[in-house]
Amino acid sequence: MREVEFHWNVLIVIYLFTAGVSAGAFVISGLATYLGGAKYKRISRIGAMIAPCPLIFGLGMLVFDLTKPLQFWWLFLTVQWTSPMSIGSWLLTFFSLLSIIYFLLWIPRPWRDLLRVPHRWGEIFSPKRWQSLSRRDVGIARRVIAAIGFPVGLGVGMYTGVLLGAIPARPLWNTPMVAQLFLFSAMSTGVATVLLIAALVRDKSDADHLHHERHFLVSVDAVLIVFEIFIIIPFFLHQALNTWSSAESVNLIMGGPYTLAFWVGVILLGLLVPLAIEGFELYPVVWREAAVKYSRLWGGVSAALVLVGGFLLRYIFVYAGQVSHFLPLLER
Amino acid sequence: MANPATETTRKKRWVFVMEPDRCIDCEACMVACSVENHVPIGEHRNWIAHRETGAFPDLNLSFMPENCHHCDNPPCERVCPTGATYQRDDGIVLIDYDKCIGCKYCIQACPYDARYVNEEKQAVDKCTFCVHRLDAGQPPACVETCIGGARHFGDLNDPESEVSKLLATHDYTRLYEEAGTGPAIYYIRGK
Repeated sequence: MREVEFHWNVLIVIYLFTAGVSAGAFVISGLATYLGGAKYKRISRIGAMIAPCPLIFGLGMLVFDLTKPLQFWWLFLTVQWTSPMSIGSWLLTFFSLLSIIYFLLWIPRPWRDLLRVPHRWGEIFSPKRWQSLSRRDVGIARRVIAAIGFPVGLGVGMYTGVLLGAIPARPLWNTPMVAQLFLFSAMSTGVATVLLIAALVRDKSDADHLHHERHFLVSVDAVLIVFEIFIIIPFFLHQALNTWSSAESVNLIMGGPYTLAFWVGVILLGLLVPLAIEGFELYPVVWREAAVKYSRLWGGVSAALVLVGGFLLRYIFVYAGQVSHFLPLLER
Repeated sequence: MANPATETTRKKRWVFVMEPDRCIDCEACMVACSVENHVPIGEHRNWIAHRETGAFPDLNLSFMPENCHHCDNPPCERVCPTGATYQRDDGIVLIDYDKCIGCKYCIQACPYDARYVNEEKQAVDKCTFCVHRLDAGQPPACVETCIGGARHFGDLNDPESEVSKLLATHDYTRLYEEAGTGPAIYYIRGK
C-alpha cells in the first residue's frame, strides 16, 4: 500500500465545523423568533450574536488553505453548476451577509440606535437624514431576515456534507447520508453553542422564563442527536455490506486508525453522553410536568461535549475519507 | 448523455495503449516527463503501479505504466469551482494555471490520484499528454523514451493508427471504467 497524501487538512475541518455552528445558531435563533417571540427572546439574541462569528473565522481558514489565497475572488466571477464548491461559495456569501444583518438587528439598545438607515427612497444618498430603527421596524426586519436566512442556513449546513459526498472517488464520503449527518450535526452544534453561551452568561430572567428556553433548546438538541444516531446506524450497515471499496472505507473506523476517536470521541462523548444528560434534564418535564432539571454545570458540559463530538466527526470524515479509495492503493 | 464507454462522438480521441508485459519498471518515462514538463522534484505526472497477484509461492508482479487518464467524462472538471480545469474538443483535459486558485477539490475527485500541487505554479498540475508536443506533431515524451515499447499513443478514431490496430487484435482493460469516467488509457492483458 502506498502512503496517502492529505491534501485537505485541519483548516478544512475547522471551516466545515464553524460553518455548521453558524448555520445551526442562525436557524435556532430564527426558529425561536417565530415559535416563541418574547418568550425565547434571549435565545434568539444569543443565536443571532453567535451566527456570523465562527463562520467568518472559518472562511478565513478556507481562504488560507488555497494555494493562491489572494485570488479567492476568482470563485465569484463564475457559477459552475456541477461544482458543489462553486454553489457553496455563493451560498456562504449570501448567508454571511444575512447573518451580519441579523446580528446588527439583534444588538441590544442603546447600541442598536447607533445603526442608522434610510427610511425613504429619497434619503438613500443623504446619510445625514438617516434614522435609527423603531422597535416595530426592528421586529419586522428580524422576522424577514430570519425567514430568508432559514432555508439558506439549512443549505449551508447541508452543503458541508454535499461537498464531501459528491465525489465518487472517495467511498467513505460518497453517500447522501453524509449530507444528512452533517446537516443534523451542524444544527446540533449550533444549538449547543447557544446552550453553552446561555449557561455561561449570567441570566436575570425569572425561573419560568428559563424553564421555557431550556426546555426548547434541550428538546431540539436531543431530537437532533437521535436523528444523527439513526443516520449513523444505517450508514455503517450500508457501507459495510456494500462493494469492496465501501466496506474497506468503514474498516478505517471499525478497527482501523480512526476507530477509537470515532467510537469514544464522536459516538460516546459527542452523542450518547450529551443525550443521557439531556434525557435526565427533560425527564421531570415528561413524567411529572415539572420544570427542566437543569444545572448550568451539566448543561454546559453536555453542550461542550456536543461541540467536541461535532468537531471530531468532521475531523475523522475529512481525514479517513482521503484514505478511502475506489481503486486499490497500488505501490508506485 | 452518450455512454462514455463508447467514445465515438469526438473527431479525434487521443489514447494510450499500455503493454504491461513490456514494462521493466526502469522509470525512464518518469524522468523524461519531469525533464520535458519541468515537474518539481518530489512530484510526478506519470508513474509505474506495481500489481502483485497470487499467493506465495505462486506470485506474479506486473508493472502498469500510468498517468492522467484524460477521462472522456472527467470527475475533476465537474467539481472545479472556477472552471480552471477544462476539456479540449479532442478530449484532452487541461488546467488553466491562472484560473486555478488551489482549492484541491479536483485532487479529491480524481479516482486515479493523477493530480498534485505544483508549488512553483501555486496551482494544481498533472499530465497534459504533452499537448505542446502533440500540437507540433510529436508524440508525448514518455512514449518516445520508453525502451521496452510498453507505451503506445495515438488516435483511437483513426482505424489505421497503431493504437487502433493493437486494440483490434488484443484483449484489453481500463481502470475504473465501470464508473463511467471513460478513461483514455487501455491496458493490454498479459499472456
